[in-house]
Amino acid sequence: MGERLSRSGIAVRDYYESKPGSDAVEPPGQYPYTRGRRATVPEAAGWIQRELSGEADPERSNAQIKYLISNHQLGIDVIGDAATMGMLDPDHPLAAGAVGTQGVSLCCKDDYLTLFRELPLAELSISSSVPSLFALTGLYIAARAMGVAPAHLRGSVLQAPLYAEDCGYAMHMPVELRVRISADVMQFCAGEMPKFHSFVEDTYFFCESGLNAVEEMALGFVEIRYLARELLRRGVPIDGFAPRIALLVDCSMDFFEEIAKVRAARRLFARMMREDFGAQDPRSWSVVISAHTSGLALTAQQPSNNIVRGTLQAMAMVLGGVQALEISAFDEAYRTPSRASHLVALRTQQIIELESGAGRVVDPLGGSHYVEALTDELEGRITAMIRDVEARGSALELAGQGWFRKFFRNAMERYHQQLSRDELRMVGVNVHRVPAEEDTLLREAVEGKLSPCVERVDRIRAFKAERDGARVRDALRAVLAAAQRPEDNLVPPVIAATEADCTMGEIAGTLRQAYHWPYDPHGFLPALVEG
Amino acid sequence: MSKVRILIGILGLDQHEVGAIAVARMLRDAGMEVIYAGCFQTPEKLTRSTIQEDVDVLGISCHSWEYLHYLPELMTRLKAEGADAAVVVGGSVLTAGDAHALQELGVAATFGPGSTPPEMIATIRELGARRASRLAETLA
Repeated sequence: MGERLSRSGIAVRDYYESKPGSDAVEPPGQYPYTRGRRATVPEAAGWIQRELSGEADPERSNAQIKYLISNHQLGIDVIGDAATMGMLDPDHPLAAGAVGTQGVSLCCKDDYLTLFRELPLAELSISSSVPSLFALTGLYIAARAMGVAPAHLRGSVLQAPLYAEDCGYAMHMPVELRVRISADVMQFCAGEMPKFHSFVEDTYFFCESGLNAVEEMALGFVEIRYLARELLRRGVPIDGFAPRIALLVDCSMDFFEEIAKVRAARRLFARMMREDFGAQDPRSWSVVISAHTSGLALTAQQPSNNIVRGTLQAMAMVLGGVQALEISAFDEAYRTPSRASHLVALRTQQIIELESGAGRVVDPLGGSHYVEALTDELEGRITAMIRDVEARGSALELAGQGWFRKFFRNAMERYHQQLSRDELRMVGVNVHRVPAEEDTLLREAVEGKLSPCVERVDRIRAFKAERDGARVRDALRAVLAAAQRPEDNLVPPVIAATEADCTMGEIAGTLRQAYHWPYDPHGFLPALVEG
Repeated sequence: MSKVRILIGILGLDQHEVGAIAVARMLRDAGMEVIYAGCFQTPEKLTRSTIQEDVDVLGISCHSWEYLHYLPELMTRLKAEGADAAVVVGGSVLTAGDAHALQELGVAATFGPGSTPPEMIATIRELGARRASRLAETLA
């Protein structure tokens, strides 16, 4: 028999023993936090149980959030539709077929107020996968309108300035602007929203290109390191922002490697903050980790098997010790999650919490010879890859040259080859297939899908026609002027512009304009103010 | 026998290119001439390219549901412009119900998540050969 390899290519032995001369790993709650951020089990559920939600218009997405909360979801995570994720308005000519089908359509002040209507913003953790500048703006405006001080808000926004353009939803902005937006959001929150995680390093979305655990974490750390240096360059002390950094990791099907990845990531983060950046505050060392189970691992064939996949992955993340968790719903290989699949995912988390006892102690696998060996091995490999990437040049330049894009493309290709050559086994895809006519279980759930929300396009058109055009243009001019001054923070003028009824698409276009990029990346719309 | 020419594109804001790129490469490796149009296509743009490139087959890759919105317009435009390329639609999100609806619109073939590479290559080759023989008849 040949070598047995983990997903990231670590050759494993038949069994593991304690390393000669090695001491036990430090207890949880102590540097370098391999075993966990804290040494005590929390009284409530040990992690925020949430599902990614958002569909159709803000009205329906608000109802969807209330439905999930009524089923004891413990936090919110909202994703936008394709237009929103790419910072285009629903009335953009390319958006019509996709309005509200893959997430919620958001573009103006009223949308944010509707999305969060009647939700206990001060008590819930509010996370968003919508582009960070607008996610923050929307939450900030809604909180103020609802009488909640932004300083009390908990939750997070995702940042992936180096990679956002390369996989998933392109924003069509230069990397310099993307980095600035991330840093501006972080700096704004450091002052105004001290409880909010203004920088969630989202390794999930690019990992879904088919990256392995080592590549995922190495590229994640490269980005964190780049942004940390940028904030330091701006004069923000490391302990002023490091505690507000969190990770959102992908969870693939390699059970023990994923557990080890979470543990290795905590240790790597602690060492990086203390040794490389000189952080003194222990809160800067112990990173919050959230996880999302892999959508790439889901199969269109025999969709009921996806429930099992989600359960195993979620179990790995609970054993690894994450602070928040989302399970990709079983019908996601075909559609945006249905009510039924959302509930199954949420119930899976609740069963793990309340019935399995997996979260009864902190780091239940700590001291397992195998898990500790994998943790050490991953730490070493991730460190080596971070060094290798950083030795190639500045991450900003690498992004500009398309180095990361090429990396993601190659990973995609490798993944598909692994599948087609049966090096990676997927039940129902390349092994244990069943004829299509026998593959009927849960079939009706995956056939249903959301139609584009066409009436919303008309509503936004009407809104744009009725608002005070002069006020909109003034506010956009202020955004343009701020964007042209590198020392300005973009968040306050963007909040002001949104208050003045400017839309996400208009503000994003104006920002592109300031950086001499086309206002409308697709060439349909003219700019609203002169650059 | 002349090479089958196929244009591959993705409609609207669907940015999941993985499948399209993998299929483009697979068809090229199978000896076809592949013109990769990429993302952000509209029915109008694809109709124009189909005619200008004189392709035998127009392949739409989909990983969102925008094809349901755009396909009726695309089929109407192709017909109005006299383009005789066969239209095929493939993607991981395609269900049996979708396949049926697309065939009603005049789509020549659909490839869902269970489709195998040999099946796709054979179908596209056959569609290309049919157009070539139609063309030969017209010219004869």
